[in-house]
Amino acid sequence: MQHKSIQVTGLVLTAFYAAFIIWVYATEPRTFREVANSASVAAGSYQVDQEKFNAALALFRRGQFRASREQWQQADPAQSDARTQFYIAYAFYREGWGRVYYDQDLFKQGLEKGNHAIALAPQGPLTVDDPNLQMRSAAELKSELEQGMERGWSDLNPLKILRTRK
Amino acid sequence: MMTNNRSRNRALVSFIVLPMLFLTVALLGGLRVSTQDHAFIFIAPPLITLVLAVLLMLLFVRGRLIELRIWVSGSYSPLTNIGHSWMLLTLFFASAQAFNSALPERGLLHWLFSFFFLWTLWNNQFSSFDASRLLRSLGALFGTAFVLKHLLLASLYAQEGGWLQRVAGALLQGVSLGTLDAPTFAPATGYISFFTLVLYIGGLLMIMFATHEDNGKPAQSVVPTSHQLQPLPDCEEIKARAQMFR
Repeated sequence: MQHKSIQVTGLVLTAFYAAFIIWVYATEPRTFREVANSASVAAGSYQVDQEKFNAALALFRRGQFRASREQWQQADPAQSDARTQFYIAYAFYREGWGRVYYDQDLFKQGLEKGNHAIALAPQGPLTVDDPNLQMRSAAELKSELEQGMERGWSDLNPLKILRTRK
Repeated sequence: MMTNNRSRNRALVSFIVLPMLFLTVALLGGLRVSTQDHAFIFIAPPLITLVLAVLLMLLFVRGRLIELRIWVSGSYSPLTNIGHSWMLLTLFFASAQAFNSALPERGLLHWLFSFFFLWTLWNNQFSSFDASRLLRSLGALFGTAFVLKHLLLASLYAQEGGWLQRVAGALLQGVSLGTLDAPTFAPATGYISFFTLVLYIGGLLMIMFATHEDNGKPAQSVVPTSHQLQPLPDCEEIKARAQMFR
């Protein structure tokens, strides 16, 4: 009976340990902090640092996009919150937007973050209820970023300088 | 009471300690530490390490380090058989990761090391081994690979090394047309690899002692070694000679 309990305990313990090892190799965390963050995401107890999120939002509204992105990255170190990732993508869009041309590098990074935000919201289309934004859905933002990266004859249209940033 | 304790300890070793130890080897065997930001890099076992692990498992069975009938048998309960099979599975992955830890990550050196491991293990399949000799041989094999990879090669490719080291590294690269290119890792990688290999060999020693105890006699080869042969009494020897020359 005692042996049976040792056997069952051993099997359960080692099965959990093996699952942890597989998870580590699958997620490839780079630091102990990332291990802890990924573990809390997996356990469903992960939360964004709301104070840093709000600070980033204030920076974003003042037009300090690079600083806002850094704050949001600190607020969501595991990059697992769809709303924060959406805002980061939006910050890339706003910084990359130009009246004459779009910064392709920033738009590319914005598109990556936008796709990541969409992937993080499996329950349905991702929308952010923020009256200060003209694009409130991730799909809309993604489409705008993709259009900005496309090259065509319409780029030579001089009337394009009249377009407005969303 | 003593038998009870022994049996409980044996169960603890077989079902908890050994699988945990081998899983730790499996975890640490692929872990490297980056030189730039000291971040973890996890390298999954390459296919060749799985092949080497299969050969090593065969060698364990041939060298009687693992006596399959002791670990898995129809007379045991299903739970015991599952537990023992699980332990053997963790040993397999630990073996693969021990090779992963001792092999250079890429380039010609990766294939050279793999070839030498393969050659040694293949040759050993046809040698007569006992468990302790097999363990000594494995200790030497992993020890040599560790010294070559984490001491010799790491110092040749170290970025913070002296000018002589860098010149030697550059010469080696030039002579080999860049095929000896090896990634550099933080010194912590060497410590992790050392700990991993020590744990692995320690686990194998524990298996040897467990098998030894279960058998009631030392784990040994079918072919007796010279010191195991006992001289026959005179009368027996005469009879034996008479039989031989009849």
